[in-house]
Amino acid sequence: MASAPLPRAVPCEDSESQFIKEGEKLENYTKYRLKGIDELAQVLEGKDNLFVIACNKCFKEFECVDETDCEDFLNIAAELGKSITTSIKFDFLCNKTQTLRKLDELNVIPEGTENVVVISCGLGVQTMADAVKLPVIAAANSLNYTGHHGMALTKKACDACAQCYLNLTGGICPIVDCSKSLVNGQCGGAKNGKCEVSPDKDCAWEKINQRLAAQGRLAEFKAQPVQLRDYSKINFKVINDYVQSIREARFDGYYGGIHPAERKEFAEGFALARFPEPDEVVILMGQHIGAPANPVVKVGDYVKVGQLIGEAPSFISAPVHASVSGTVTAVEPRLHPIQGVPAMAVVIKNDHLDALDESVRPHGDLDSLSAEDIINIVRDAGIIGMGGAGFPTYVKLKPGKPIDAVLINACECEPLLTADHRVLLEQADEVIFGLQAILKAVDAPKGYIVIEDNKPDAIELMTAKTEGMENIEVVTARTKYPQGAEKMLIKRVLGRKVPSGGLPADVGAVVSNVSTAKAVCDAICKGMPLIERVVTVTGERIANPGNFIVKVGTSVKELIDFCGGLTGDDVTVKLGGPMMGFAQADLNVPIMKSSNGVIAFDTDHTVPVACIKCGRCVDVCPMELAPLYFQKYVDDGDVEGLKKKSIMDCMECGCCEYICSSKIPLVSKIKAGKKAVKEAK
Amino acid sequence: MLITQLKDKETIASVLRGKVFLINCHGCKEVRFPVAEAETLRKELAEDGRLAGVITTDYICNVENLTKRLEKHAAEIAEAETILVLSCGVGVQTVADMFADKRVCAGCDTLPMPGFQGVTPLEYDCAQCGECYLNLTGGICPITACSKSLVNGQCGGSKNGKCEVDPDMDCGWERIYRRLEMLGRLDLVRCPTQIRNYATDLEVSK
Repeated sequence: MASAPLPRAVPCEDSESQFIKEGEKLENYTKYRLKGIDELAQVLEGKDNLFVIACNKCFKEFECVDETDCEDFLNIAAELGKSITTSIKFDFLCNKTQTLRKLDELNVIPEGTENVVVISCGLGVQTMADAVKLPVIAAANSLNYTGHHGMALTKKACDACAQCYLNLTGGICPIVDCSKSLVNGQCGGAKNGKCEVSPDKDCAWEKINQRLAAQGRLAEFKAQPVQLRDYSKINFKVINDYVQSIREARFDGYYGGIHPAERKEFAEGFALARFPEPDEVVILMGQHIGAPANPVVKVGDYVKVGQLIGEAPSFISAPVHASVSGTVTAVEPRLHPIQGVPAMAVVIKNDHLDALDESVRPHGDLDSLSAEDIINIVRDAGIIGMGGAGFPTYVKLKPGKPIDAVLINACECEPLLTADHRVLLEQADEVIFGLQAILKAVDAPKGYIVIEDNKPDAIELMTAKTEGMENIEVVTARTKYPQGAEKMLIKRVLGRKVPSGGLPADVGAVVSNVSTAKAVCDAICKGMPLIERVVTVTGERIANPGNFIVKVGTSVKELIDFCGGLTGDDVTVKLGGPMMGFAQADLNVPIMKSSNGVIAFDTDHTVPVACIKCGRCVDVCPMELAPLYFQKYVDDGDVEGLKKKSIMDCMECGCCEYICSSKIPLVSKIKAGKKAVKEAK
Repeated sequence: MLITQLKDKETIASVLRGKVFLINCHGCKEVRFPVAEAETLRKELAEDGRLAGVITTDYICNVENLTKRLEKHAAEIAEAETILVLSCGVGVQTVADMFADKRVCAGCDTLPMPGFQGVTPLEYDCAQCGECYLNLTGGICPITACSKSLVNGQCGGSKNGKCEVDPDMDCGWERIYRRLEMLGRLDLVRCPTQIRNYATDLEVSK
C-alpha cells in the first residue's frame, strides 16, 4: 500500500502525551525496535540483495505517519555496503490476510532479491517467513514488557493465566505484580514494602494485604484454601484451534465485519400493526439520493391518497405522493432528519376520509407487462431503496449492462431493527412477487433472497414459499455486520468483488431491499405509489416497542408517543439503525421512505482520545481500508493523503467507529474527509 | 485483547456478597467474550433481586472513558456491595483500582491468545522475549513453537515429529530444521550457543 514514502505530517519524535504517566515511556507499548548496527552487521554478514519490508508499528500514539525505522535501516545497510532491491512499508504486517493480498497484488519482491529483511515484531517476521520462500532476516527485536495490556494504553497487565486470582487479592494481580508470581502470599523477602528481586518494585503481596485490610477482607482471604496454579489450563492446541475457527468465521463471505449485540428481542416478537392515521403529514420532497422533487401542489389544494405532489426533475430523482387525503396547509422547508437543516416539504392536513386518487389502479399481472412497463411503474410510484440509502429503484433497473442475478437484501444486519424481518414473515408473497417483477425488468435468470441465520422462521417460510420456483433461491448467511451492504452481499452470495468506485451492475448484479420489493409489488398489483412503509420503533429507552405500517410524513414524535414515549432522560434518538442511523436532536421530523426504524437508547458521553494504532479498524473494515489514516489526515487537512487511502470507497458502515478503542468518531471524520475531497476537485 | 471465559457458577456465587453491580466489557468481543453466559448470569442475579445495576460497555481498560460512563451509575454502584467485572484481567484491575475501597470481583478467566495485541487473531505467537531468534530459525519462533522454548535445538524427546509434552503439537525444532533445509541454511544451526536473557523491559529495553 505504501511503496513510496508517505508524506510526513508531523515530526516524529517522542512528545509528551496524556497517556504517558510519570515514570513510563510510551515506546514501551509498541512492539519492536530496530537492532543496533553491530548486531545488524553480524546478522547481515555474507547476505546481500535485500528486499526490505517494514511494519508501520502499532500501539503507539498515532503522531507520525512515517516511522523512521525503515530509513534508519537503509542508512545502516548503506554503511555496511549492502545493496537493496527495494523497500516497502505495510501497516500491520501481522494482518496476514491483507499482507498476503498486498504482496500478491503489488508483486513487490523484485527479481534478484536474495534475502527478505523484515522490520517488525515477531509476528510480522513469522508472517513474512511463511509468505515468502526466501530467507527472512529479522532486523528488529520485539520489545519485552511485563505482561499484556488491554486495548487502551495502560500499565495494567494480565498474564492470561486462565485462572484469574483477582477475586482473592482485591483486584491486584499476584501473577504479574509479584516478581515470583506467588499465589499464596508473601515470600518473606520483602524489605520495607519493596521486592527483594527488584528493589524498585513494590511488594505485590504487601499491596494486596493493605487493600484487603482496608476492605475488611483479611479473614476471608485467610479462610481460602491453598491455591495451586494449574499450568495445564492453558492448552495451546485448544486455543490455536479456537483462534483458527475465529479467523474462519471472521472472513466468512468477506473480509472484516463485526458482531454488535443484536438487541432485536425488544421488537421482533411484535406483529405488524397499522399506525393510527396522523392528523398531519409532512412530506419531504428530497427523500432520496439525487435531485429533490418539485412540489406540484399549492396551499389550499385538496389531495387524495396516492396523488402526485412532487415531480422528479431529473434522471436520478423520484416523484413524491400524498400519503393521506386532505388539504395542503403548507409548501415550505421543514427540518430534514438526514440533512439536519430545513428542506422543501408539502404539509397535508388529514381529513381522515382516505379518499383514493383516481390514478391508483392495478396494472394487471406480470405476464401482461413488459420490462419497460415495470420500470415505468416503479419510477412513477416513487420507489427508492428502502434499506436506508434511498437510491431511486428504477435507475437500478436500467443498468445498461447484462444482469444475471438479483439479490433481495433481507439480512437486516443492523442491531435493534426488525422491520424487514416482519415484512418477510407477514408479506412474503408480496416480496416474492416484487422479486419476480425486478427479475423480469432486468431480464435476469436468477433471484436470491438473502436472510441472516438469526431469522430462522423467515428462512423457513421463504424457503417453503419459493419451493418450485426455479429462478429463486433462498440463501442463509451467517450473521455478520455489515452483511446488508450491497458490496458485501454480492461478495458473500456471488463471490464477486465490485471494483473500487463501481456499482453492483458492473458485476452483473442488482441488489434490492426486501421492503423495496414489497413496494414494487404494491405499485404493480394495486397501483399504489410508495406512501407507507414498515418502521420498527425500539430500543432500551422506548417504553413499548413495536413494528408499524406508517404513512410517509408521520411525525417521529407521534410514533414515539404512541409507543409510550421515551423512558428516563439523557436519551439519544436515531432514525435508522444504531450503526448507520441519523441522530435526531428535534423529534419533530417526518418518517421518510427510507426510514426503517426509530430507535432510542442511552446517550454515550464518551470522550475520544488519541489514536493508539491498535489496528482494530483495519481488522474490521469490510472495504479493506485503513480508517485510522482518515481521522489523521482529516485533522491534518491532508486531502492527498485521504485520496491515497481511498476514502471515497468508504461506505460509512461504522464498523471502525464501533471497534475503535480510542472512541474516535470516525464516521463523522470520514464524512468531513469526503466533503474535503469533493471540494478539492 | 485476550480470550475470556466465564468462571464456573459455584466460583462466582462464592465470591459475591450482597447486591452486585455488573460490568460487561465488549471491547474485545470480536475475539471472545461469553455473551450468552453473561446474560444468563445477569438474569439470575436480577431474579434473585441481587442486581444493583449493569453496564455493558467496551474497553474498560480506558480509565478516562470508564469513569465517564459509570457516572450515571453512581447510585447503583453505591448500593452494590460487589462489583463483578466480566472482562480480561486488565479490565478487572482497572476497575479494582478505580474502586479501591470496594469489593471488585473477576467473573472471567483470561486465556492467552496468539497474535497478542496487534491485529488479531493470528496463528503465530510472539512471547516478546526481547531478543528475536527468528534469524537463526528460518522464521519459526523457538520460544513459542517449542513447548520448552529451547533456543539451541531439539530436546531429543520428540517422536515422529511430535512434541513429547503435547503429542498434538509438531516439534518446533523439527519444523525449524525442515524450513532451514528448504532454504539451504542448515549452517545456521551451527551458530554459537544462545543464552536467553530473562531480564524484563525495565532492564533491557531502555
